[in-house]
Amino acid sequence: MNRRTLIGIVLGAVCATAGAIGILESGAADVFLEATRPDFQKIPLGVVSIENIGGPEWLGGRLEEVLKKDVKRSLVFELMDLPSLGIKVRDVGNGLENGTKAMFRQAADNGVSVLVWGKAGLKRGEKEDDVNMEGFVYDSGNDEVVGGKRYAGSPSVVRLMAHRFADELVFRYTGEPGIARTKIAYVSAQGAARELFVMDYDGYDSRQLTADGFLNLMPRWSPDRRFLVFTAYRNRNTQDIDMIELATGKRWTLVSYGGLNITPALSPDGNFLAFASSHEGNSELYRLDTRTKAVQRLTTNPAGELSPTWSPTGRELAFVSDRGGGPQLFLMSADGSNVRRLTFEGDYNAAPAWSPRGNWIAYVCRTPRKEYKLCVISPDGQKRMQLTTGGGVDDSPSWSPDGRHLVFSSTADGKSHIYMIDADGKDLERLTFEGTHNSAPNWSPAS
Amino acid sequence: MGTPSFRIAMALVVGFALVSVSGCGKKTVQSGGDTQSQAAKGKSSDDASMSGVGSFPDTSMQSSGSPGLRGLDKNPSEERVAGAGGSTMLAKADPGSLGRQVEEMRAEQVASAAAGLRDVFFGYDSWTISEEGRQALGRDAEWLKTNPSAAVKVEGHCDERGTSAYNLVLGEKRAKAVRNYLVELGVSANRLSVVSYGKERPFCAEHAEACYQQNRRGHLVVRSGK
Repeated sequence: MNRRTLIGIVLGAVCATAGAIGILESGAADVFLEATRPDFQKIPLGVVSIENIGGPEWLGGRLEEVLKKDVKRSLVFELMDLPSLGIKVRDVGNGLENGTKAMFRQAADNGVSVLVWGKAGLKRGEKEDDVNMEGFVYDSGNDEVVGGKRYAGSPSVVRLMAHRFADELVFRYTGEPGIARTKIAYVSAQGAARELFVMDYDGYDSRQLTADGFLNLMPRWSPDRRFLVFTAYRNRNTQDIDMIELATGKRWTLVSYGGLNITPALSPDGNFLAFASSHEGNSELYRLDTRTKAVQRLTTNPAGELSPTWSPTGRELAFVSDRGGGPQLFLMSADGSNVRRLTFEGDYNAAPAWSPRGNWIAYVCRTPRKEYKLCVISPDGQKRMQLTTGGGVDDSPSWSPDGRHLVFSSTADGKSHIYMIDADGKDLERLTFEGTHNSAPNWSPAS
Repeated sequence: MGTPSFRIAMALVVGFALVSVSGCGKKTVQSGGDTQSQAAKGKSSDDASMSGVGSFPDTSMQSSGSPGLRGLDKNPSEERVAGAGGSTMLAKADPGSLGRQVEEMRAEQVASAAAGLRDVFFGYDSWTISEEGRQALGRDAEWLKTNPSAAVKVEGHCDERGTSAYNLVLGEKRAKAVRNYLVELGVSANRLSVVSYGKERPFCAEHAEACYQQNRRGHLVVRSGK
């Protein structure tokens, strides 16, 4: 099999995956977890090096490390260890020098489809120095350097440069925007208070968004990433659903009924806010039209309803109800009709999150040993898997926009921290290490 | 241990002033009529909440404004990468508001300790009031009858097990169970407010039943203000 055929097969597999996803979104019953599909093939990619040209000592290594981790987490590529394949890592310059041709051939012969390298340095600026980064991509299928990127910015955005480059690679080979530039909103304790924070998807560069001194809980992104909606306690005695604009810090109160006002979730088109409120007695679900400000009640039940999560089409909601005793997952149409129970296994199932591909709903399941772990179930109820095991309380699963990962909180290491895991339960990675309590992560949409 | 009721009345008057001030101060970031109607009615935030839905900007899907991916290029031109600092506003605490909040909480604690109110403890997953809880609430009801000007807030709390969201619902069930029993004992419902803190304001943080027990509680607080 020659290289061109191999690339063709790999790309074919990617396209077939994308095609199958398209069918799922249109409502077909078959479901699968794409990363665990037997025919899913990652594209073998090697990062040669990011050479440091006159920059600070850490520059090249930092870029290379961030890029490699992004490539690995993309789950689109298989990150190849070039030295172990006997490929000598050396300066490849712009990829046109004589010696590099031999290296390209050697990599291709060892099954590496894509080679990536680059260089980085400092440019003296008038006010402050600028970091420059160049990245190049060799594709063994085309047997040529297919292109590259040049970035410039302040030294504080070095990680972001690597993230952008990683997302360009994912975009090139899948047409998807990638997740390396996505962010995670979460709640972090500041003394007895809980405030909203945002960090990069890999846990770096966290920023505090609120400083109210009491409780701000359960942030959710708007679909265009401009806002977060969340539960805010006003004067310690009542809850509102508030919205904050990330670029300005400006805040609005969306809902301020008496009683609970919790678990807000904006629809995929941003036109509706689903939320739970107990102002008419017990906790019920409502839908606020964000354009007309009209509110429609969706559920009427003596039990508690909460935690609505939208299907990616916006046509359905999954939610929690304890109408059978303990909390269980239910589905309904977005207008409140056609309610049916989804989970039957176990006596406690809560905190649902509908995957962006539509094919899974992640949630917190209580095991027979009374442990609170992550599970996923298909919307037709036919397939169910437990993703995490062991001690500690897992909570608040939220999907990456590519549907290949989940972020969640867990007390597995003692204090509550935030973790990332692949959608098939592999590659658990801890994201937060500071502070006494980090919880309620919500993954931003891609840009 | 009793406290002269005029002292509590004084504390309530001062507390009401504090709540009113902080209520107005905190809403500066909010747009629209909610604040106005609240001021016009001259009531605390609980009543203002009846207005329900505030005014806020359109959240419909828009272009995020951040530069998208442009693809690889054989002769790439330079792209400027802007940091998160340019797109994310950092929070600044309002020391005045935080200070008032701390003062109010301290006043509530002092008033509640002076009143000697008893808390109610619950079983795992449960919001049923035990015999012990009924006895505690019996004494709390007596205090409320001898202090007719006092208002009490019932906080519902949960242990760390289970989800944050469902524990907020469970905490409200506990707080309402406490309120309802006090009403059964003859306390006027409009002197009792409820709020659920779920598992977000625990009394202890250890992962053990001794601590869980402490956190499954209906906590009674003499309200400062109102």
